[in-house]
Amino acid sequence: MAPRFAPKSVQFVFLYTREAHPGENYPAHRSFEQKLAHARAFREHFKVERSILVDDLVGTAHKLYGSLPNMTYLIGRGGRVMFRADWTDPPTIEYALNYVLNSRARRREGLRLAPFYAEFVGYRWNDPARFQEGLARAGQQAVDDFARVMQRWQKQGLRPGRIELNE
Amino acid sequence: MANLAEIEEYNYSVFVGSEEFVSFRTLVPVGSSAPDIQATVLDTGQSIRLSEYWKKGDVLIEFGSFT
Repeated sequence: MAPRFAPKSVQFVFLYTREAHPGENYPAHRSFEQKLAHARAFREHFKVERSILVDDLVGTAHKLYGSLPNMTYLIGRGGRVMFRADWTDPPTIEYALNYVLNSRARRREGLRLAPFYAEFVGYRWNDPARFQEGLARAGQQAVDDFARVMQRWQKQGLRPGRIELNE
Repeated sequence: MANLAEIEEYNYSVFVGSEEFVSFRTLVPVGSSAPDIQATVLDTGQSIRLSEYWKKGDVLIEFGSFT
């Protein structure tokens, strides 16, 4: 997606945070060097081409933006938040980017478009098998810890802050 | 310099579930100014401010980790 939007001056970066699911292979960070090593392993495994920025060891940047494990923010030229989501989903990002870029282009053409506050419910692709693969890569502890949390969530029913729809 | 307690609190060693989905909704809403944080560029080891990106154009930031 990044090359398609590069001619439109959209830069794509990845901000490396704490380990969401620490395990034997990739435990919780205790030094900045370790965090850098995990970020390099991530880059090599997924062949990440975007710039990777690494947050400090206590998550100063991550906390200011909400502390969630896989959020996305689109920040416009000048520093205003144009779109954000509590999960990262490429088709949703592409939709938001096209919306912002097209609206801007139409404004430049002279159309009277006033910015306003808007929200919508996103639909993200969820692949449990791939997610479990990721946990296994982190180590058996990550698999077990997640299974324990899943059991708790199932017992509790509604998870605060999550959107569930009966459509 | 961060102390060990702060490091261990942020970098939990056991996943217990992300509790920040509710507070996320009111933090840094669309239309507001994004926090201008500083981070280390993995390739170069240099420090960079996010504003260096948004001075040049739009910037799409994904947050995450290997795990």
